[in-house]
Formats: sequence, structure tokens, C-alpha cells
Amino acid sequence: MTDMAKPANTNRAIRPPRSQWWDVWDQFKTHKGAMFGAAVFVFIVLFVVIGPLIWQVSPTEMPQKALDLIRGKNLGPSWEHPLGTDQLARDVLARMMAGGKVSLAVGLVAMVISITLGTTVGVLAGYFRRLDGPLMRLTDLFLALPLLPLLLVMVMLFRDPLGRMLGIEVGTFLLIVTAIGITSWMQCARIVRGEVIALKEREFVLAARSIGTPPIRMVLRHILPNVMSPVMVAATLGIAGAIITESALSFLGLGFPPDFPTWGRLLADGADYLQDQPLRVIWPGIAISLTVLSVNYIGDGLRDALDPRIRGR
Amino acid sequence: MGRAMLDATNTQKTLVTVRGLKMYFPIHSGFLRRHTGDVKAVDGVSFDIYEGETLGLVGESGCGKSTCGRALIRLYEVTDGVVTINGKEIAKANPQDLRAMRPTMQMVFQDPQASLNPRMTLASIIGEPLIEHTKMTKAERQARIYELMDAVGLNRSFVNRYPHEFSGGQRQRIGIARALALNPKFIVCDEPIAALDVSIQAQVVNLLEELQARLGLTYLFISHDLSMVRHIADRVAVMYLGKVVELGPRDAIFADPLHPYTEALLSAVPEPDPSLENTRERIILKGDVPSPANPPKGCNFCTRCPKVMEMCRSIEPTYREVQPGRFLACHLYDQNNTSAGSTSGIEASQKHVQQGELQ
Repeated sequence: MTDMAKPANTNRAIRPPRSQWWDVWDQFKTHKGAMFGAAVFVFIVLFVVIGPLIWQVSPTEMPQKALDLIRGKNLGPSWEHPLGTDQLARDVLARMMAGGKVSLAVGLVAMVISITLGTTVGVLAGYFRRLDGPLMRLTDLFLALPLLPLLLVMVMLFRDPLGRMLGIEVGTFLLIVTAIGITSWMQCARIVRGEVIALKEREFVLAARSIGTPPIRMVLRHILPNVMSPVMVAATLGIAGAIITESALSFLGLGFPPDFPTWGRLLADGADYLQDQPLRVIWPGIAISLTVLSVNYIGDGLRDALDPRIRGR
Repeated sequence: MGRAMLDATNTQKTLVTVRGLKMYFPIHSGFLRRHTGDVKAVDGVSFDIYEGETLGLVGESGCGKSTCGRALIRLYEVTDGVVTINGKEIAKANPQDLRAMRPTMQMVFQDPQASLNPRMTLASIIGEPLIEHTKMTKAERQARIYELMDAVGLNRSFVNRYPHEFSGGQRQRIGIARALALNPKFIVCDEPIAALDVSIQAQVVNLLEELQARLGLTYLFISHDLSMVRHIADRVAVMYLGKVVELGPRDAIFADPLHPYTEALLSAVPEPDPSLENTRERIILKGDVPSPANPPKGCNFCTRCPKVMEMCRSIEPTYREVQPGRFLACHLYDQNNTSAGSTSGIEASQKHVQQGELQ
């Protein structure tokens, strides 16, 4: 990727210097779904980042007096609370914003961990024959593990020590993204390994070997750019998967601490009041679905835009 | 064709020496994936290539031509043998030394589509060897890329394009430009024209010849197109089932093939003149090429040879110089067998051979 970004472009007479990324952007712009997804994603990011600056209501503060608490809980939408209040009279809009920040961060970071791990394992296993057996058996081992129980055990074991060391929020955040990351890289590793084995036999890799390109640059320059498409798909699905896994963990009460809002936690809390207050489930549900959908469309557009053969069609 | 005349005198400096080159691909089978045999793709090949000449390497599909070319510049880890290029041993060199030697030897590949990375621009493809082996600045590299594009006849405005935007002939020019980037002495052309249209083939071959004349390149030209080899090569080596069966100056081989396999191969070349074409006698070999995993005992060609003798089935013929500059591996020309060989091989016309085969 980095190598592709700098075609030696000191061309004065014939064509103005132009980074490849402009071509990528031009192609990305023609993908309607991707542009729509990008717009939605930007809107969600602005909602969770800029939103709290405008809507300055605390997402965690409860009314001090018992009477206010009883009167103010489980309200429907009103001008004071546009999305209503929850069972502890906290503002749902503020909680949606605060929860979104955490959920998005978990999704992105866990995806990066899982893709990095998966691509590394896949490339090593595919490119170096000697590593293929051990690394793929390791992948099989991870695939065979029942993930949810494993996650539960990890959270149970490490949440408190990490919380004491780094503070409860940072500790839990790190624990959850690591846990999700290292339990979701296997699909990516398998896909990448298969692609790398196929690519390794292509003549352009042989040509690079006849030039004397060392293995590291061979992987970076010739292998990785050509496995971008499946990795991109795995990455976008990974974000969605990570947000959903985090929701599931929070739903089970093993994610962030109970007073710490995430979209999954809001969903879990709202589920108890599904009969009376269906909107409290619908808001975080819509937010998660929109994020996942928009990221998938962005990934689709990026994959097409990064492939020079599709570009310009 | 001054080169051909120079060759005949054999006074040139040897650039590439190949001695007993073997390239076996192991076969693993059974539950434990035991090593049960080898595909002997190249089985003890020896030849020299002189500086500035073109050695044509011909043979039918699967006889090990491409593997030989690739093993020669160590794209495969060779099983056995010695290869020296420009006085340096290649076949067993360690990776650091090998990398330093890479600029002297380059390769042009058969399929121009597959040999170019679809995600790199033309500039980065041609520039890759420069990045790997020189310390040029970006501007110097750019100048060299333009120079190379001019040399192979590519428009400078193509520099930012991708391989899929080019035609087959243009792609092969890109491949040639990449091979030329480091000023190599020796280029292995692995069927560089096989995947191209006939009209484009001539262009690419002329380009290769022009570059050879201008830059003093040495080619190993692998092909199954005999008329093209006749056009471009100074000397011709004929391969059958992993072995070189005959090697000699082009004109001598085409005028007077010694080995029965060469005879059969050359009789397959179509004749452009229809009246001659009608009288042309073809030697049609029967049967298939034996598997290189299980070659026949004795001479490799004994299963299909029209002039097979009893000894061919048991004793492997030695590869030796039978006439000055002509190497051969065939029992027909053994010392104690010269009379038999000369009557059936050298003096007998093609027609006799044909009849002999039919009887």
C-alpha cells in the first residue's frame, strides 16, 4: 500500500504529478452506496463526538431526590429529553452519544487488532512454507474454541486486575478490544493465506524474485496490495462483528461497568422495558445497524476503488 | 548476420557455463507424505552460451525448457549442477551474493499479463529493479524509466498507467524494459512471444534483436516456435524429457539434423511455399512423451525413436561433441557405430527415413 502511494511522479511535460490516492478518491466518489455510507458514518461520528458539546446533559447523573427519580424515570420523548429517560431518570440522548463513542472506538480498535493479527498470520503461513503447518494448526485451534465462554472467562479473570492497574474504564476498554481482537482474526488469516499461496505462484512474484527483491519487500510491494480486497471486506465485517460482540458482552453484563453507557448496554437495559418503552431498544438498535451498514458500504466502495482494474468503469 | 559467422569460429568469450544442471521436483505421497520420487524436469544439462549470441532452446511442451531457464538464473533451488554466469557461480551461491549477481541476469516471461503486478503503475514496475539495486534519486530514476520506455518503444505518457490498460505487445515491452533496467548481460527469454498475436510477435522479436545489437546482450531464447528460433538464434539446443539431445549452430542443425528427435521436430515446421509444402514429408512420432517422474531406461527417446536400436533401451547415450561445435546424445553416432549412423542418419534423405519408419 505505501509503495503504491508514491508512483515516481516528477513528470513535467506529459502529465501532471498525481498521487494514486486521487484516482482512488475519484473512483470512490462514483460508488453511490459508498458515498451514502460515508455520509451516514460521518454523521454518526459527529453525533458522538460533537453531540455532547451541544447537548450538555450528563449521561450518568441521576436526580438527587428520590421523588425526582421516581417522577423522571422511564419517560417518553419530550422537549426536555428528546429520546426520553431510562429507568434511573438518565437522559437517553446523552447516553446514546456517550455509548456511541465507546462502541465505535471498540469496533475500530478491535477490527484493527483482528485484521493485523489475521493478515500477519495469513501472510506468514502462505509465504513461508515452513510456518504454514504450525500457524494454520494454531488458527484451527482458535476456531475450535467456543468463543463466548472464552470471552466470559477472560473478562472474569482480567477485568479487575486491569481495572486496578489502568483505571476501570481504560482497563476494561483494553481488555474488551484485545479479547474481541484475538478471538476474531482466524477467518481473515485463512482467507489471506489462501490468497497468498495463489499469488506466490504468479509470474510477477517470480519476476520480482529474478530482480532480487527480498522477502519483506516482496510481501509489502507485491503480496499485500493484491490481498487488499478480501482483507478490506474482512475489515468492514470485523467492525460490525466487534460492535455486536461488545453489545453481547455488555448485554450479558460482562462488558463495561453497569453505569458506563455503550450501545450494547443501552440495548440490554432497554430490553427489560421492551413492552412499555420499545423506543429505548429501537434507538441503540438503529445506531448499531446504521453503523454496521455504512461501514460495510464504505468497505465495498474502498475495495472497488483500490483495484486499478475496476477503477474507471 | 555477422554474429553467426563469428560463432562458427568459436573464438568468443563464454558468458554462461552450465554443467550437469539437475532440477528435480520431489513427489510426496502416502499418509506420511514421504518422499517417494522425483519429477526430473531437468536431468543433467550441460551447455555454454557465448557472449553476444542467442542460444535457442527448443523442445515440445513439458520437456523442461522453461524449468531449465528458470533454474539457470536460480529462480528455483537447483538439485545439482554448476552454473556460472560471467565467471561467478550461481547455482550454490548464498542469498547475499546471489542478490548482488541479480543485475547481470534477467528474465522476460511468457505471459506478459501475469508477469506484471496488476496494482503497480508502469513507472513503479520498471522502477522496481532500480529501487532494489541502485541508489538513484527520484529524478534520476524517473529519467532512467523514461530512457527505458524510449528504448522499448513505449510512449512516455503511459508512465502512470496500469498493466491492464495495455495490449499484449505493449505489456511484453514493459516486461522487456524491466529486464533491461539494470543493464544485464544475460537475459533468459522464456517464450516471450508465445502469448502474442503473430503480427505483434514480429515486433517484439525485432525489438529483442535491435536491443541485442545495441546493448550487446546475450539471450537464452526458449521457444517452441521453430521458425522464430531459426530467425533469431545463432545456435540451437534441442531438449527432450529434461535432457539436451542435440546442440549446434543454427544453420547446421536446420540443414542437417543429426538426432532422430531433431529430425522429427524440424519436419513439423510448415513450409510457406505451397508446392513445397505438398511434397514435405513429416515424421510423425508415435506415442506420448514418457513421464519425467519415470523416464525410460537407456535413452530417453527410445520409446518413440524411429531408428531405435537394441542398445538404446539399456545404455544411456553420452552427450559429446560429434563434429566441431555440434553436440549430440545418440548411439547412432557412437564411435563403433559410425558406419551405421552415417548411412541411416546423415546421408539418407528424409524420404528414406519416412519409409523406414512406415515399414
